[in-house]
Amino acid sequence: MNGTLGHTGVLLGFAAAVVGVVVLLTALVRGRPGGLRAGRIYAPVILLGGVVAVVAMQRALVTHDFSLAYVADNNSRSTPLIYSITGMWSALAGSILLWGVILGIYVTGVVWRFRRRADDQLVAWATLVLYVVSAFFFGLMLGPADPFTHVSGAVPANGLGPNVLLQDNPLVLFHPPMLYLGLVGFTVPFAFAVASLVTGRVDEDWQGETRRWTLFAWTFLTIGIVLGAWWSYQVLGWGGFWAWDPVENASLMPWLVGTAYLHSVMVQQRRGLLRVWNLSLVIATFSLTILGTFLTRSGVIQSVHAFSTSSIGPLLLGFFGLVLAVGVGLIAWRGDRLRSPGGIDSAMSREGAFLANNLLFVLFAFVVLLGTVFPLLYEAVNSGSQVAVGAPYFNRLVIPLGLGLLFLMAVAPALPWRKSSAEVMRGRLAVPAAIGVLVVVGCVAGGITGVEPLLAFGLGAFAAASAGRALVLSVRGSWRAARAGGASPARATLAGWRGFVGRANGGMVVHIGVVLIAVGLTAATAFGQRGTVVLARGETGTFAGHTVEFVGTRVVRTPSHVSQQALLRVDGGAVFTPAISQFGNGTQPVGTPAIDSSLSSDVYLTINSIPSKGGAWTFGVVVQPMVMWLWVGGVLIVVGSILSAVPGRRRRPTDPVSTPVAAAAPPAPEPAPREPAVDREPVGAGEAP
Amino acid sequence: MTGVVDPPTVAVPPAAPPPRRRHTARWIAVVVLVVAAGLVAVLATRPPAAVVEVQSPLVGKSAPPVRGLTVDGKPFALSRPPGTYVVLNFFADWCEPCQTEGPELVRFAFEHQQTGDARMVSVVFDDSTSAARSYQATLGATWPTLADPHGTIALSYGVRAPPSTFLIAPDGRVVAYVVAPVTAADLDGLIARAKASGA
Repeated sequence: MNGTLGHTGVLLGFAAAVVGVVVLLTALVRGRPGGLRAGRIYAPVILLGGVVAVVAMQRALVTHDFSLAYVADNNSRSTPLIYSITGMWSALAGSILLWGVILGIYVTGVVWRFRRRADDQLVAWATLVLYVVSAFFFGLMLGPADPFTHVSGAVPANGLGPNVLLQDNPLVLFHPPMLYLGLVGFTVPFAFAVASLVTGRVDEDWQGETRRWTLFAWTFLTIGIVLGAWWSYQVLGWGGFWAWDPVENASLMPWLVGTAYLHSVMVQQRRGLLRVWNLSLVIATFSLTILGTFLTRSGVIQSVHAFSTSSIGPLLLGFFGLVLAVGVGLIAWRGDRLRSPGGIDSAMSREGAFLANNLLFVLFAFVVLLGTVFPLLYEAVNSGSQVAVGAPYFNRLVIPLGLGLLFLMAVAPALPWRKSSAEVMRGRLAVPAAIGVLVVVGCVAGGITGVEPLLAFGLGAFAAASAGRALVLSVRGSWRAARAGGASPARATLAGWRGFVGRANGGMVVHIGVVLIAVGLTAATAFGQRGTVVLARGETGTFAGHTVEFVGTRVVRTPSHVSQQALLRVDGGAVFTPAISQFGNGTQPVGTPAIDSSLSSDVYLTINSIPSKGGAWTFGVVVQPMVMWLWVGGVLIVVGSILSAVPGRRRRPTDPVSTPVAAAAPPAPEPAPREPAVDREPVGAGEAP
Repeated sequence: MTGVVDPPTVAVPPAAPPPRRRHTARWIAVVVLVVAAGLVAVLATRPPAAVVEVQSPLVGKSAPPVRGLTVDGKPFALSRPPGTYVVLNFFADWCEPCQTEGPELVRFAFEHQQTGDARMVSVVFDDSTSAARSYQATLGATWPTLADPHGTIALSYGVRAPPSTFLIAPDGRVVAYVVAPVTAADLDGLIARAKASGA
């Protein structure tokens, strides 16, 4: 029953996508606007097919319908409801189903957004590309990644249950869908890039659209990555949040290139430059998404995330080749004719900084890509021998890139478009740079040594101060403009908050979030300490300045697992309970860490070994400063992204709260105490076209 | 299209020479395509999940303790540091890939018994002691095999599925982690690499 329903949904989605491709292609070739409009209807049908299949899968999981092989492998009678639901993305076939339904949402979203412009060839080509991608993913579910296969032989009485690591923390409910909303979302900018290359229209108008879709996907991908780091910190028991694992890299690469695009698209919107470059970035982002899916789902690379392998590898690889050939081929065909006239005037300008930022981000992505596929390349050249690329490689190359990006983050927001002079920059950057230097001096006085941490903290403070300065100016501008417009001080204060809204201002909030993450990452990795304490019940031990008292033990039984918990009192305060859990169906035990978190430092506790007869237990202790900053920074990035998606003040010149262009900077009679250069500075709200 | 260089038609010269168009984007695109085609070719010819080393936070760190009762009921503890290379193999008798690597492990153990520079230690992973004992006896494995009934050793090594094999250097550091069936040659290669890097 569930199997039939699911198959029906998948088939419906696939058929709709294929028919949609045929209808749109025919109409485009013959130049029939009626056909272009008729082609729209297949998008909601694809979505419907996906939803039907998801409903069937969820019903099967929640009701433990073990007649489906997927359910028998990823669910058991004792699996709690939440992990039955998440079972859909615990293995390959279900993940593809999630991918398919999210793609259906995006395709429908695009068709709805452009419903009045369906006659436009560019929109039709983009829709066509989206249909092709949908056909591919629904096609996978008809063949090698069929989530609705019937079990062979008799229906088992009970299933295996999800991978034990995936039923230990409710974050599993959010992390994969967020990640997929991000990764799948990059299909939309790719579709528009292909469409504009085919139609030869690279005007800045569609770049605005593409940017918005990219920002949407990017935000979800950011949430997904941060949640993934949080999940591995909470679950995996080694106190780390990032392991340069191929799956992590697979999500990081599109993020890096997407970030580069979000910056360079501003250069195009503002100055009409970098058109072909932007198209290339969008195509690269989507290609990396598919490559990452291939690397992690085909079994060519082993990883902690290789929860499933299957025969879909060659298909994904072929699709990657197709995507790349189409994208790069179109650029080879059209690229030179679409290039923008003119170039960047001066390296010391906003666009020059964006270009440098782009080069660093692309290099960063390349470093990650090389580290991920190098073992395979090496093995191909030296057959039979293996090489592992580990954290040292990534750290050595990524730390300088990260420091370079921090520096650009500090300088770029103060740079004007076109060109700048040393005096202007001195005026704008004196205070942020002084704050950076003060932080370094403070750190040295506080006993921190090491070039990299000091640089990271100093540049981080510099960048945060620079972003904060831009926000302060923007808020002040809004406030003064409101006052000049006759608003009461209270109303003007309210209007001041508009200074946080808009592309540039939201971006500054994102920057502060990134700085928090960079500082947290540096502190936690450079100054983390790990060790063990061996304690008998009632004893107290110390590690890295923290005391741990072994209060007692407790056994907790739930239908799905039995946990052996240790009660540990940290620094004489609260009691924390790391555990070792034995899940049903006889798999190996899983350790669950307990974390005493605070803004300044985390104490991370695990049970390393339990004596078979009474005696001392061994506990793993990891003390890492400022881990919480990572999560706070992640939240700030999301907040900033949302703020920057809201149109800024100047987009609606008729809006009574809004201000005319000249008033965005403080008017001349106002005393501008230290910074005369401020008057000409393009502050936040002045970024719109 | 611009893809084809115009043939040199002398008969009808254009009124004004067209502005020379730069082909930077095309050349870069062609280079990218060639590199990508190479990458795809390499990826396409990779055998799925060959002997694959996995990154583990343990690699480079000192090996967690290996001690407990063997499947024959005798106490065993791996000395720290072990003084020789130690191949720590997690297995179960129900695990099919373990059966393919079993004879290779026996060969490896035999070869290195002569030279004395490496030895085997096995740990039962999620299996009954009796099944594991008879499995090892059938195989001819005479090295210590720990029962690990609560999975504490597996847990401390972060093992998720058998077969999983760790190589521990004489100084007690973990130098490699492989999650797939290994051959004697693989293990020799890993040891040679570890020696070359000064372990």
